[in-house]
Amino acid sequence: MRRVAGLVAAVVLLVAVTVVALHDWSGGKATASVRIMIGSEKFDFFNDQDVKGELAAQGLKTDLTTTGSWSMASADLSGFDLAFPASQPPAEDIRRGHHITTDTVRPFYSPLVVIAHLATANVLYANHIAAKADSGVWKLRMHEYLEAVRQGTTWQQLDTDHSHAELTGALYISTTDPATSSSGALHLAQLSYLANGGAVVKDGQGVARVSGLVKQLTGVQGDQKTSSDGPFKDFLSGVGNPLVLVYESQVAALLAQHKPVDDLVVLYPDTTVSSDHTAVGLTPNGDKLAQLLRDDPKLRALEARYGFRPQADAAAFAAAVGERDKNPVLAPDLAAAGVAQAQVPTLDVLTELVQTAKGR
Amino acid sequence: MSPVRAQFLRRSAALLAGLALTLTACSSDPSPGPVSPTAKPGVLRVLASSELQDMTGILEQARKATGITVQVSYTGSLDGADAVSSGQADGKYDAVWFSSDHYLGLDPAGRAKLVSETPVMVSPVAVGVRAGLLSELGWGDGSKVTWSQIGQAAASGRLSYGMADPSRSNSGFATLVAVASAFSGASAALTDADVAKATPQLKQFFTGQKLTAGSSGWLAQAYQKPGQGEKIGALVNYESVLLSLDRTLTGPDHLTVIRPVDGVVSADYPMALLSSAGQPARESFRKLTGYLLGADAQKAVTEQTLRRPVTPGVAPAPGLPTDRRRELPFPGTRAVADGLLSSYQNELRRPSRTVYVLDTSGSMAGTRLKQLKAAMSRLTGSDDSRGQRRFRNREEVTLIPFASQVKAEKTHTVPEKSPQAELAAIDADVQALSADGGTALYTSLEDAYQVIARQQAAEHDDRFTSIVVMTDGESNEGATDGQFRTFLQGLPAGQSVPVFPILFGDAAKGQLQGIADLTGGKLFDGTGSLEGAFEEIRGYQ
Repeated sequence: MRRVAGLVAAVVLLVAVTVVALHDWSGGKATASVRIMIGSEKFDFFNDQDVKGELAAQGLKTDLTTTGSWSMASADLSGFDLAFPASQPPAEDIRRGHHITTDTVRPFYSPLVVIAHLATANVLYANHIAAKADSGVWKLRMHEYLEAVRQGTTWQQLDTDHSHAELTGALYISTTDPATSSSGALHLAQLSYLANGGAVVKDGQGVARVSGLVKQLTGVQGDQKTSSDGPFKDFLSGVGNPLVLVYESQVAALLAQHKPVDDLVVLYPDTTVSSDHTAVGLTPNGDKLAQLLRDDPKLRALEARYGFRPQADAAAFAAAVGERDKNPVLAPDLAAAGVAQAQVPTLDVLTELVQTAKGR
Repeated sequence: MSPVRAQFLRRSAALLAGLALTLTACSSDPSPGPVSPTAKPGVLRVLASSELQDMTGILEQARKATGITVQVSYTGSLDGADAVSSGQADGKYDAVWFSSDHYLGLDPAGRAKLVSETPVMVSPVAVGVRAGLLSELGWGDGSKVTWSQIGQAAASGRLSYGMADPSRSNSGFATLVAVASAFSGASAALTDADVAKATPQLKQFFTGQKLTAGSSGWLAQAYQKPGQGEKIGALVNYESVLLSLDRTLTGPDHLTVIRPVDGVVSADYPMALLSSAGQPARESFRKLTGYLLGADAQKAVTEQTLRRPVTPGVAPAPGLPTDRRRELPFPGTRAVADGLLSSYQNELRRPSRTVYVLDTSGSMAGTRLKQLKAAMSRLTGSDDSRGQRRFRNREEVTLIPFASQVKAEKTHTVPEKSPQAELAAIDADVQALSADGGTALYTSLEDAYQVIARQQAAEHDDRFTSIVVMTDGESNEGATDGQFRTFLQGLPAGQSVPVFPILFGDAAKGQLQGIADLTGGKLFDGTGSLEGAFEEIRGYQ
């Protein structure tokens, strides 16, 4: 009986397959499958139905794999059409490792920010480590923060009335693992720039000058997550360190999609680093996808809906996150908010910095 | 033939082949069947932590919603990490889903094998305390208790508890990291110096550990039964496991779940794709994680399993307290993590008294005896990075080979330092075993109980005590099962020791299951891998 049922099912399926196959063949232009490796922070964007729809209209269909940006250069990229890390240095690493000669494309960027619960931000404010502008934008005063870190300050010392049981232990910002993930490595770039007196670290001597600080701030964290999605999800579910480094885009995406974020505060470091999401095309189809992400107006609007700032369209981001007067307040115009940008060291120096920080 | 038609025929053939496989699988096993040996479209083969068995209903919902069938093989999280690091999981599974990727992530080789790590839900490690005990200990409603208070209650003998073996289970490991962090006063990630500093307090804390197990399920059962004396007072495990268990408990067994205010270590259940997985599996993975992170699935997760959701806008289930806890950082290197585990096994925990009752009857001659010797020999070897296998420093090991009667009784105590010589002596005794005679299973077990009584009387010590019995046949001489039952009933309370039988060769499963049930032990199947069974039992000793 079962066998008969199976046979019937098989015949039905055969008919269905015929219909599907013929439909594929006769319907419109061919769709090319583009296999891409991305940082986890871009997964939701590429998985969006509207993004898929616009790409399909342009003849592309994506097959996604996510991994930490710095893992991509050492990953097996055979069969991939595009590698899309969250910043330039790993993109440069991929180009070198895979002998790519075409130019990279940087469709959008996102500054690194620190997230905290409102109670935590208020403790930092009381200690002059955080500031709040009339516009409602919160800033993290990096000089004061690093001075407190150098002195080995604990949350018990900052939270003088001990009103928050969860605020204990050393003061630090937790990040992803700089050896595997772009945001962790960019944070080291930011720290080294500040510890070097506001100048980019250029060589091994420069790395040596800042090694104490980057080692300290990496060592205290213990095991670090491989990719930026992990610490952010942990924070949203109520666990993790009081201060977490994330991409602005991760928070902005929630706002643009009207998702509630409880009492989350976005602290813009007064000197931060932006992640220039950099696409490395490995095949012509990969190149085509990268260019669409940069030039297609529909895709740009969708990028902003996922919290990214399109390079060629500053207004898109402001329009997507809208005007807000309650937490978390974002700063669409970084310059107006007084947020400066640290310069990122070259690939080789950054690699040395990461190795030093990890004590290798 | 036109290219289009050729492609169509290839597609149809592939789909029909897939369908045929599906039908075969369905007719042979309608339940969540075994993991298929090769990747298939619409199927995701997952190696998962054993506690994720409570996700079966939600995975079934996922199948209905996405068409993706999840085939799961369950394991202890740390054993699973070994399988990934060593490459044994490549090709066999498409994805892994452990309670945490902390341990695996500390090994660069293991880390490189995973992509697309996605936390799915969260639960912190917690202490479930027997309801009546809370007021006795002066802990109010339990919302302000620290690890130090728990440690003091354990040290003074007022709080006994059960905890899973940290070398096998993530809940045990997370607990070990949490107490080591809390006791050392470490303000950041643990170092070897922190562990050394916390050692005196850790030893005191572990005097209260009266039950150890390789799995949470067995601990939950043991909590409800008086073992050696009184019922234990508490269980340490994930909040979700304790709250779920509490739903099944009645009267004085009810648990109050405490998240110590000085910090917790949380599991965030990341699902990750193995980098060896092919395209159909990647597509299945994407669909499945997309479904699990959706609001409906997250709501089902928190309500059914009492874990905490990770998707914004989904509230934790009623009864999950929302006040925050400090997350204690996890060690940053494998060396510190393994050092902590090794200290736990060889220095911090209560030592063990372990008795092996080994069938060396005539039917064991040849291959079977060789397998037995190899399995026992592994427990004396040096291949033991995190204390998951070998006889521990301070452990008292007694070998009782039997056939028609007990043939010998050899006891070794592994010294506190430099264990190698004593381990070699145990191995020498194992290698000298020979096979002949009948199978007096029950009489030999009774002898083992008498050996333990003599050892306890002579040494007046405080040890985890257990018996392992391995047989390849049916008891055909000496005492009957009825006589054994009467014997057990006559034992004084302090001597009711659990027996862990290992099924091997032509053993009578009914007899062995009966022994496990009567003594509060657990049956292990050694017919697939005798070595594996001997090793798994280490978590219970």
